[in-house]
Amino acid sequence: MADTIPLAEARSLVARAKAGDQRALEHLYRAYEGAVYTLARRLSKTPEDAEDVLQETFLEICRSLGAWRAEGSLWAWIRRIAASKALMRYRREKVRAADALDEDAAVGFAEDVPLRLDLEAALHRLPERSRTVVWLHDVEGMTHEEIAELMGMTTSFSKSQLARAHQKLRAWLGEEGAVA
Amino acid sequence: MSDVRHGTMEELLAVRDGEGSAWARGHVEACASCGAELYRLEQMRSRLRALPQYAPPRDRWAVVAVQARAERRVRMVSALTGLAAAAALAGLLLVAAQGAGPDPLAARTSLRAAMARSQAMERTLRELNPDSRALNGQAAAAVADLQGRIEALDARLGDPAALGRDLGRQAELWNERAGLLSALVDVHTTRVALAGL
Repeated sequence: MADTIPLAEARSLVARAKAGDQRALEHLYRAYEGAVYTLARRLSKTPEDAEDVLQETFLEICRSLGAWRAEGSLWAWIRRIAASKALMRYRREKVRAADALDEDAAVGFAEDVPLRLDLEAALHRLPERSRTVVWLHDVEGMTHEEIAELMGMTTSFSKSQLARAHQKLRAWLGEEGAVA
Repeated sequence: MSDVRHGTMEELLAVRDGEGSAWARGHVEACASCGAELYRLEQMRSRLRALPQYAPPRDRWAVVAVQARAERRVRMVSALTGLAAAAALAGLLLVAAQGAGPDPLAARTSLRAAMARSQAMERTLRELNPDSRALNGQAAAAVADLQGRIEALDARLGDPAALGRDLGRQAELWNERAGLLSALVDVHTTRVALAGL
């Protein structure tokens, strides 16, 4: 998504929020809560986790307002914090093992059962890491280098995850995946 | 039938993103199958971007605002507490030098113990990492109330001129502060225990 607040206004709001102005902070919250929550939902296992990520993201924003470089996109900065919080939660809950099982199950599902899913369901069915890479790259426009740094992986890993995710989406969506 | 190899998914995605190799870029121009696949990948990206945005089910602003204010206050109070402790110690030295008070040694010991209790509770609270999980409304209200009372106490402790040389009163306030911190620890401990169920 694009920045919902023009840069000049963002600078002013951030400066006021840094000085302790709660109304400025609430303005920032209201402007970005939907985008942060959507990103968190795409990267989290459950809606409850996404709510926690939303809360943790804005608390981190309050702590780190001084770290935003006022010449850069405010959303890009917030997005990075939100993605980082979601990934931290993912690591903390040690879901990688379960994720690998999900991935195996998903492959079997794709090969054996020619179901037709809608895009929302297919995206949700992707393993968490693949879904994260697809969302950050294809929707948020982050580069493979940025994603690799955020996830602590290599750029090759990010590229291969994206390719695997698209192969799965194509299999699950069938002909629908070939039509606009 | 052609034996020309087709582009892999990774190669086609690179072309879509403007980073493909010269071979891959040329191939999708000539190969109808890979050209169609590239078109499908472009459409898929558009469809992903067009998915609707979620709306948070509950308004979290009140909780965020309470915690953000509390954290800001803690940062300010940390500095204030240091000043208050220094002022209290200066008071102790002054009293000792003047030999004032009915039992200056007992008062000093009592004050030091109260300050130590408060500091120990601060450490316990930090170790609980209270920001790692969202608060529900009831817990947030309890935390806000306790933090407000601690804030009021810190304001009094941070004003040694108002407290004067009454070491007994200072010890009472520090003990009260330790008690409030203990209650905060209880709230967060209960929340952690419930979350683990």
